[in-house]
Amino acid sequence: MEKFRKPTRTGVPGGIFARDYNDSLKNLVLSQDLEANLQQIKAILDKCSDVIYREFVFAQNEEIRLALIYIEGLADPGQISDQIIRALSLEVPMAVPGQEITKARALEFIKQRGLCIHQLKETYKLQDIIHAILSGDTVLLVDGHAVALVNGARGWEARPLSDSETEPTVRGPRESFAETLRVNTALIRRKIKSPNLKIEALRLGEVSDTDVALVYIEGIVNEKLVTEVKSRLEKINIDAILESGYIEELIEDNPWSLFPTVNHTGKPDRLAAMLLEGRVAILVDGTPVALTVPNLFVEYLQAPEDYYQRFLFASAVRLIRFASMIISLMLPSLYIAVLSFHHELLPTPLLLGMAARREVVPFPVFFEVLITEIAFEVLREAGNHLPRPIGQGISIGAALVLGVVAVQAGFIAASTVIVVVFAGIASLVFANSAGMAFRLLRFALMVLSGTLGLVGMISGAAFIAIHMCTLRSFGVPYLSPLAPIASTDLADVVSRAPWWAMLSRPRLMTGQNQQRQGRGLKPTSPEKTSKGRR
Amino acid sequence: MLEKGKINSLQAILLMISMILPTAVLSVPAITVKSARQDAWLSIIVATVVGLLIAWLVVTLSLRFPGKTLFEYVEEILGKIPGKIVSFFYIWWFLHMNALVIREYGVFLATAIMPDTPISVFHIVVVVVAAYAVRNGLEVLSRANQLLIPTTVLLATVFILSTGNMKLSRMLPVIDTGLLPIIKGAAAPASWLGEIVTFAMIIPYLNRPREAHRVAALSVLLVSFFLTASILEALLIFGPNLTGAWIFPVFNAVRLISVDNSLGRLEIIIVLAWVLGGFFKVGVFYYAAVLGSAQWLELKDYRPLVLPVGIILVALSILIHEGIVDLFDFLARVWPPYALIVFEAGIPLVLLLVALVRGKGGRKNA
Repeated sequence: MEKFRKPTRTGVPGGIFARDYNDSLKNLVLSQDLEANLQQIKAILDKCSDVIYREFVFAQNEEIRLALIYIEGLADPGQISDQIIRALSLEVPMAVPGQEITKARALEFIKQRGLCIHQLKETYKLQDIIHAILSGDTVLLVDGHAVALVNGARGWEARPLSDSETEPTVRGPRESFAETLRVNTALIRRKIKSPNLKIEALRLGEVSDTDVALVYIEGIVNEKLVTEVKSRLEKINIDAILESGYIEELIEDNPWSLFPTVNHTGKPDRLAAMLLEGRVAILVDGTPVALTVPNLFVEYLQAPEDYYQRFLFASAVRLIRFASMIISLMLPSLYIAVLSFHHELLPTPLLLGMAARREVVPFPVFFEVLITEIAFEVLREAGNHLPRPIGQGISIGAALVLGVVAVQAGFIAASTVIVVVFAGIASLVFANSAGMAFRLLRFALMVLSGTLGLVGMISGAAFIAIHMCTLRSFGVPYLSPLAPIASTDLADVVSRAPWWAMLSRPRLMTGQNQQRQGRGLKPTSPEKTSKGRR
Repeated sequence: MLEKGKINSLQAILLMISMILPTAVLSVPAITVKSARQDAWLSIIVATVVGLLIAWLVVTLSLRFPGKTLFEYVEEILGKIPGKIVSFFYIWWFLHMNALVIREYGVFLATAIMPDTPISVFHIVVVVVAAYAVRNGLEVLSRANQLLIPTTVLLATVFILSTGNMKLSRMLPVIDTGLLPIIKGAAAPASWLGEIVTFAMIIPYLNRPREAHRVAALSVLLVSFFLTASILEALLIFGPNLTGAWIFPVFNAVRLISVDNSLGRLEIIIVLAWVLGGFFKVGVFYYAAVLGSAQWLELKDYRPLVLPVGIILVALSILIHEGIVDLFDFLARVWPPYALIVFEAGIPLVLLLVALVRGKGGRKNA
């Protein structure tokens, strides 16, 4: 058998076709002849039926021929016809009466006064021109000049900003990221109006040529972390990045682990909070979520809402989340272990009651729970992919009908349904990628407790704990600040410390500038302070 | 260096507690009460003094050779060949002790909760989990320990719940049988506390080696505290006769708890704490044996040894004693003098004296 080889990030044998194509473009430049330029571009964009070539002449001097190239659907037709074509072919003479514009001066004039476009760039490289056209910019070629003007008149049909569906909140901002990169960076910029908020641009994917942005706050972030993230991103050599999940899998520390070590969020406010704690975010064009690193496990037990609500209540909610995590992982296996190996652990009346009801059930507890768990997962998966109104209806109906009928028919015991459904709902408390890890591990623990009882279950749990201790996300221990204990950071993990007590940023993450706020912010009533002064 | 990780003082203390406590809570009360009877708590005090002395001895010795483990400085003190011989005995001792611990683990689980399961199953399970931690290094071992040790708090809760069954008069009369039984009774707990010798394998990996004295002393004191608590737990409920007669008196004491007829069967918490603690107790000695063997063989990496040492441990733990009576007789009568005199106090003392006489280590090297 051929030895299994780890896929390497660099050095795809033979190279990707797009690289050769890009290399062939690299050295091409424009010529002074408009016809020749158009021919060249048309040759490259051959059989691309969505590319529009619009040739027209300059209003005052018909010898000056112009050509617009853009992609229908990506460029804004309103801006193109009003601000470019109308401005150049009709209105210029009125703006400068009696002034002669020669072919030689045409470019300078168009650049300075002719175009009413907010964003204008110049380039003479064919590669940049093609990239601009494909990104939705409009390229203007002027006869007699070996330079193209790139107009930033983008405008395509995009989903409007909407409420966050994956991370809904009761209190707090509701907006969520959209698919357009620029919109998303603007959303972050609106939260953090600091020149230290850096948004570095990268392009990944040889064929898809996807825009990627690296976002961090200089002065808070650990410089080494930024370098590390950049170097991992630069190693990526793939044909396309269609979703941030591609990047996540290509940069994570522990590719074989069930636990995700790159977090993601769709909410600008949560992302801003993460940046302020010294994390680095990676935004991918076309993806309405941002990746954040380093990722700590405790992030999955925190919600943005915790920080907007009163801290005592938020702390209580955190305890509930923590308990749900344990329940979702262990409850079914505990049930199996107790019913198949350790009957003596149940109080006698309860044991007798359960035994009486389980008498008709034909399966061992392990199979009973396993079947019910699988049924639950099937319903959940089905509910995920159906259109929302139908999905909810079907999953509720199926759950009710199936559950009730299965119990009545004596296939499964009522207590099994209770346990499985409770554990399933508990796992919804943190329904995200870490929750998926626990969903799978629950089955592993069930097998262990079905074979070795409580000992198997505890061993499995210890194994999971040890595994989580081995994980690191960009150098930061995954379980910090729980293990290793960082006492100052613990206040924001087991409870939600009040804002006036959260003096420092997470220690293992930020390299410098750990102070979050000034001391003595705890509010006191005015009478008390005046009394104290007297 | 073989181990690249560093741990902080808190992690070291918790690791030392996990290294000594799990078997101590279960096995020591019966052994001590058998000879010291109701004065067993006095035996623990004597044992604590011995434990502290051993801790001081080991840390003083280790700090003379900063950055080196027991296996490395033994060769520096005694010379290459004698050093190799002595460290070979230590490898044996770590393996032997660990095999005993694993056997206790299997015996306890088999008698307490799963009588129909062959004990070798438990042995394999504990060694596999410990091996996974050991393979990932000291940092992971101590972090996982730090994460799971709060279950010990549950143990304290259980002890508090059982106060209803206790009678303070069962501690009377004090020093009824004279001092000799008390000192005899101290031998077993002292040999357990003396396991702190293993700390010599970990001192070089402390991020603040200066605190090593404090770490060792605090670990011994905390373990003694829990040990006293568990001895009193059994003694105050059963009195000296019954406590001495049982193999796992603490387990039986917790079995008696019943609050309002519904909250009972709390012995499962002992099982939980013990199973979890067992992983780390086995893990630390396993780690010491693996790291020591790698240094003894002068390897560059200790990880290839994890699997073979694990197999040796499982086999040894099954072969080492015929049955439970044999095992506990050995633990009560042979183990304390053997461990205490040779490995825990004897060799370290000789090493320190030789180092002083030959002028090895010390400040001039630091």
